[in-house]
Amino acid sequence: MFTTLLIIHGLIAVALLGSITHQTAAACWPATKGGSFVSSFRAVAGARYTIANIILYVIAGVLGAIIYPAYRLAIRPYLESAQLWTINGSFEVKEQFVAIGLGMLPLYWLVWRTPLDAKLAAARATITAMLCFIVWYSFLVGHVLNNVRGLFGR
Amino acid sequence: MSITRIFPVFAAAFAIMYVICVEANWALVTYHPRINEWEFLTKPAKSGPAMYWYGWIGTTILSASAISLLALPLTRRWPPPVWIGWAVPLAVMLVFVYLLRSFFLR
Repeated sequence: MFTTLLIIHGLIAVALLGSITHQTAAACWPATKGGSFVSSFRAVAGARYTIANIILYVIAGVLGAIIYPAYRLAIRPYLESAQLWTINGSFEVKEQFVAIGLGMLPLYWLVWRTPLDAKLAAARATITAMLCFIVWYSFLVGHVLNNVRGLFGR
Repeated sequence: MSITRIFPVFAAAFAIMYVICVEANWALVTYHPRINEWEFLTKPAKSGPAMYWYGWIGTTILSASAISLLALPLTRRWPPPVWIGWAVPLAVMLVFVYLLRSFFLR
């Protein structure tokens, strides 16, 4: 059960990662002309990703909360006994960042509400980039933790 | 009266209240994963570790919502700038990195 939920949590995170990275590129580095792969990556209609990103963020957070007790009982004691303090601390930072991101979701929805307000372009780019950073950081930390025994096993 | 006006206030209040809840350990609920037991408010560990993260988020949602609703009448006259909704959370993220620095300095 735990393994199934962990895999679904990871898959949801991958979907969110791709979606919010597209939107961040569109907001922070909009494409002026199409053609190349990079330009096409940046040329998406960012507003269309907002609701999907909010839903994926909440689902990933809820699934993370459901599997958190298994981490607390099995993984964290191992990290402490193996003295993997940086990995342990990285997860502590992750849980706080994810919670802060949760509180930003209503504002994130507001700045991406269509028709887009040109005066909010800077706020839109900043808020989306912050959420993108939280998602990337959380994904990478979760990925390392998932493989911690293989990567740092003693 | 559009409730969306308070979203910048909510984001800022959420971040501030969250760091206060974590530091003061104001948890709405405590979970004891070893015995699968929930308790109301902050309680010490029983058998195995106690988990407060759920409770911190619960307290934060309630308090940030209350602050935002209280601020709603004020926002009619003084609309809050959108930047507080990202600048305050960004500052709180840095505060957390500072608070958790001991993990990275061993």
